[in-house]
Amino acid sequence: MSREKLRALGLDLPLLPTTSVGSFPKPNELQQARTRWARGLISRDELERLERRATEFWIRTQEELGMDVLVDGEQYRGDMVTYFAENMRGFEIGGLVRSYGNRYYRKPIIVSEVRWERPITVFWWRFAQSLTAKPVKGMLTGPYTVMDWCFNEYYPDRRATCLALAREIRKEVEALIEAGARIIQIDEPALSVRPQELPLAREALQIVTDGLPAYFISHACYGAFEKIYPEMLTLPVDNFDLEMSNSNLDLLEHFKRSPFTKDLSFGVVDVHSHVIEDVETVVARIRQGLEVVPAEALWIDPDCGLKTRTVEEAIAKLRVIVEAVGRMRAAIA
Amino acid sequence: MNLILTNAGSYPRIGDTPDEQILRQTLARFDRQEATEADIRRAEDEMVRRAIAEQIEAGLDLVTDGQIRWYDPISHIAGKLGGTKINGLLRYFDTNFYFRQPVLVDRLVRECPLLVEEYRYACSVSSRPVKPVLTGPYTLAVFSLAERAEYRDLERRVEDYATVLAEEIADLAAAGADLIQVDEPAIVLDDVSFDLFAAGLRALARAKGTARLALYISFGDVSPLYERLQDLPVDVLGLDFTYSPQLVDRIAVEGSAKALGLGLIDGRNTKLESEAEIAAALERLLPAIRSEVAYLNPSTGLEFLPRDRAFRKLQHLVRIGLRFKR
Repeated sequence: MSREKLRALGLDLPLLPTTSVGSFPKPNELQQARTRWARGLISRDELERLERRATEFWIRTQEELGMDVLVDGEQYRGDMVTYFAENMRGFEIGGLVRSYGNRYYRKPIIVSEVRWERPITVFWWRFAQSLTAKPVKGMLTGPYTVMDWCFNEYYPDRRATCLALAREIRKEVEALIEAGARIIQIDEPALSVRPQELPLAREALQIVTDGLPAYFISHACYGAFEKIYPEMLTLPVDNFDLEMSNSNLDLLEHFKRSPFTKDLSFGVVDVHSHVIEDVETVVARIRQGLEVVPAEALWIDPDCGLKTRTVEEAIAKLRVIVEAVGRMRAAIA
Repeated sequence: MNLILTNAGSYPRIGDTPDEQILRQTLARFDRQEATEADIRRAEDEMVRRAIAEQIEAGLDLVTDGQIRWYDPISHIAGKLGGTKINGLLRYFDTNFYFRQPVLVDRLVRECPLLVEEYRYACSVSSRPVKPVLTGPYTLAVFSLAERAEYRDLERRVEDYATVLAEEIADLAAAGADLIQVDEPAIVLDDVSFDLFAAGLRALARAKGTARLALYISFGDVSPLYERLQDLPVDVLGLDFTYSPQLVDRIAVEGSAKALGLGLIDGRNTKLESEAEIAAALERLLPAIRSEVAYLNPSTGLEFLPRDRAFRKLQHLVRIGLRFKR
């Protein structure tokens, strides 16, 4: 079903396509430049020059490794919610809030009506796609997660906030498709937060994707997905990209009880561990994935964005994925 | 009625100015092996001192150490116990915050006091009384994975957590804590066992000596539990009103035999509540409480807010609370 959709979009992907969830670590020079830019010591142009250089580095790296569906690496983003809040109307960027351990982010505050005014990610998608013949995913954060990850001082409730965001985020999806993106990933890591709100998340994603010609992936991680499974399969996307390895592949048991009916991007390496998995471990995980999803429906990637790893660790983890997939393809053939 | 203005637990461990980021930087330097554990301890001490100073400046009567040293509400306690190892990340209720899940690999034992030193330090830098806060046995048990076979049984997990936490309660009481807060948010989840939850609290109550226990519950609607909570062997019930639209009415009608911790101010959103609405709720609640004291506090710890907003929330709480103080 989804293979047909991919082909109709002009995409002929190999078996077990390899991809990434979105973010890659920023090289040191870019990290330092971001700090200097925040202090007003370098110009926006200078920062952007380094962001382009880092994006080129990651596109080249993914090509050299032999990845099939590429990402731009999000070298221009701070984090997945704040970046969109900074580039839409209606938000104020708040102070630092802890997300876990020693990690913090600037949680936006919705202070007035949210409005999409101009393309946000299209410039970077175009730039990344211009560097490669492989498909590059369009990447954005979904309305349910933006709602859940912002303070709200304007809308009466969560539902009104979420649906208003959905109507605006759809405009970004339309702009990406207009630019030529055929695979679009909508990150919804907050999906399992309040299981009773799954219908709201579905309604919002429907607004974002309805009738648009693209293959839609939704990424989610570090939640209690067993609580929204199998209901989550009713969401209007083609592919779920799920963190599996950090939680010992616990979800597989649920997929055995109730069939997973969409394409699955299967997280085979833990992005929160410095340890580089060996190829055998990843091959074993892929085999376990194949027990619940047919080979035509299985994509292989890391659990989540690799931005918390070092550049070397991120590349090493991707290399293991490509090698393991190579072995599996040979075994299947 | 004596209305005591207090905090419900955590306070931000970071802020926007460079001197409010020393703990983050020290932890990052420690990861690069450029700082020692003693450096971390000093940075934590400094941020505890600041958290307490800000709570006092805002006007609170009773403060906490801000749980500045806590990696998260689960692994900070579980990780200090023998018999555990710490696993991957899991979202903490419906917040944007993640905790590390403990795995029980061996029999749970308390090899040393968990929070007593932290409590003593907080007292030493506070001009106001300090309330120690710990996570309760039921919540720790629910969020722990069992590698050891006997712990696949939730009852055994609750029992053993309760045993080690009872020792801690006794030590905190001996160290001078007059009021000890026990957080049990897991009781708002689906499919809970109220009996196991109550049994865990009974074990803690037996160990409290002359201290009083405050049970705090957040992140869910507590109205359906309200009657049964009144029967628990605790001295104060801390309730999160932000999830419980019927709760003010219910308490106004049924009253409360216990002192209440009134979580009327939302500790999770930056928006400042209408002063008139909170005051109207207090007008109805306070006469219904058949106790000498009541507590006014945010609905949760304040770590979910940026530092400047957390401070403003406390100021807002104090502004409203002062109208009701004797």
